[in-house]
Amino acid sequence: MNRTNTATTPAPRPSANPAIEVRDVVKTFHTRSETVHAVKGVSLEIPRGAVVALLGPNGAGKTTLLDMVLGMTDPTAGTVAVCGEPPRSATSHGRVGAVQQVGGLLPDVTVREAVTMIASLYPDPLPVAEALERSGAAEFAGRKIFKCSGGQQQRVRFALALLPRPELLVLDEPTAGMDVASRTAFWEALRAQTADGLTVVFATHYLQEAEQMADRVVLMDAGRITFDGSVHELRSTSRHHTVSFAWPSDEPVPALPGASKVTRAHGRVSVRTQDADAVARAVLTGTAASELEVSRGGLDEAFAALLRHDDTA
Amino acid sequence: MSLTYTAYDVLRNLRAVSNMFFVAVLPAVLFVLFGVAQGWSSASLPGGNVSAYVMVSMAAYGAITATTGIAGSAAVERLQGWGRQLALTPMGTAGYATTKVTVAMTLAVVPVLVVFTVGLFTNAAMDDLWRWVLSGVLAVVLSSVFALYGLAAGLIFRSDAAVGAASGCLVVLGFFGNVFMPLSGGLLEVARFTPVYGIVGLARYPVTEGTVTTMDGIQTDSVWLLLANTVAWALVFGAAALLAARKATARR
Repeated sequence: MNRTNTATTPAPRPSANPAIEVRDVVKTFHTRSETVHAVKGVSLEIPRGAVVALLGPNGAGKTTLLDMVLGMTDPTAGTVAVCGEPPRSATSHGRVGAVQQVGGLLPDVTVREAVTMIASLYPDPLPVAEALERSGAAEFAGRKIFKCSGGQQQRVRFALALLPRPELLVLDEPTAGMDVASRTAFWEALRAQTADGLTVVFATHYLQEAEQMADRVVLMDAGRITFDGSVHELRSTSRHHTVSFAWPSDEPVPALPGASKVTRAHGRVSVRTQDADAVARAVLTGTAASELEVSRGGLDEAFAALLRHDDTA
Repeated sequence: MSLTYTAYDVLRNLRAVSNMFFVAVLPAVLFVLFGVAQGWSSASLPGGNVSAYVMVSMAAYGAITATTGIAGSAAVERLQGWGRQLALTPMGTAGYATTKVTVAMTLAVVPVLVVFTVGLFTNAAMDDLWRWVLSGVLAVVLSSVFALYGLAAGLIFRSDAAVGAASGCLVVLGFFGNVFMPLSGGLLEVARFTPVYGIVGLARYPVTEGTVTTMDGIQTDSVWLLLANTVAWALVFGAAALLAARKATARR
């Protein structure tokens, strides 16, 4: 009865609307002892086909924001539209697939049973075998959920997220707690899905994942968006460079102008500085150093600096 | 409601061996011990014999164990992660409720079938076929009152352990509901106000026609007293579940 087309004619899919449109959204929780301002005025537009990483420390409001996008909770103020619809109607029309951070699975069913159960709730789901295949869960489809590893359970959640043939995929720290190999495999499986214009928004703590997967990075901190741009732009917000050079390990390091931190290891000295040119000039002209290298500060540094709202990192 | 989802949910619960032990095997064993194998089993009652009386009691007990467990775990399941998974699908609260009621009622049929089959092949006897059918149907249908009980427990305490404890309490409620051994005197007077008493009394009505056997002689319960007990407790459990559900959703 869930497959009758007359009863559940899919609503038209207006592809002109952005995948996510968040306007001046505020979310405040009241607990018995305090009031928590989880999201303090966020506006965000994510066009179709974009792959966006949502970064930020714990408690930044990432999960709360994603919960509002998924219709799990309503904003205290402001509006959220998903594919041009209110979030809850977008999810019930099968436009959204999600891998949630706290998404319990029934422990006592097999992977295939779990996928079949959820598939049966959608009017026109992806075939179960295909969802299992695409998510990489096919090889352990006969295993009971409680016997699956954390990484395998994420694959199952991923399979469930693919079932409605979504236009938007929301992933909240999908690789948290996975080992490196599982993480790589997970993102490879996801990358295969993004080829056909799927919009993806994922929250993560791993900057490397943002760098490898996303063409846009949104940084949240303390309930606000503090950065929104490409990975390259995020990196360039760091004014720090590292100047390193070969130096005999038994000789003291010379005093250098503008050096904020000096470390030495394996016969090399590394100098962190905001003025790489001055340090490099002093090293090359005034010392016996050789094999000089200058590198821009990493994503981690840019990230840390943005979170501290300063550039002394 | 999705038939596929419901079927898998029924299957999943049937496979839960420890639950099915308490739902179907234990009542059948208790029936054999207290009904089949006792000297008084062939003593006659207005609509059947004592063995049939014990059979219906145990079937009803199994049925309420089933509905309590299903409804309780349904609440916990929905409040925990699986509810968030379902929230992303077109299945709404009404769909979930319909599915779980169907699952609970289907599983309540299991102990009735098992215990009645044992009764049929041993010494349970009722005067007419309709008495068999009616008492079986009543045991299943009335066990829905305990779905509300399980639901309230699940919504209030939000853990599988609490649902297990609520199921465990059924033994005590069953004792006070005059399910396991005939109560007498003051205890019986109190028992008439406890939640299992009405349900099991109604399910046994085709056998007893209201007679209550006690240590000090025969008493009679009117069908209205049993109905009043059942309806009153349904309202109490229903109200508790409703209040708990409001509180659970208000926290979001």
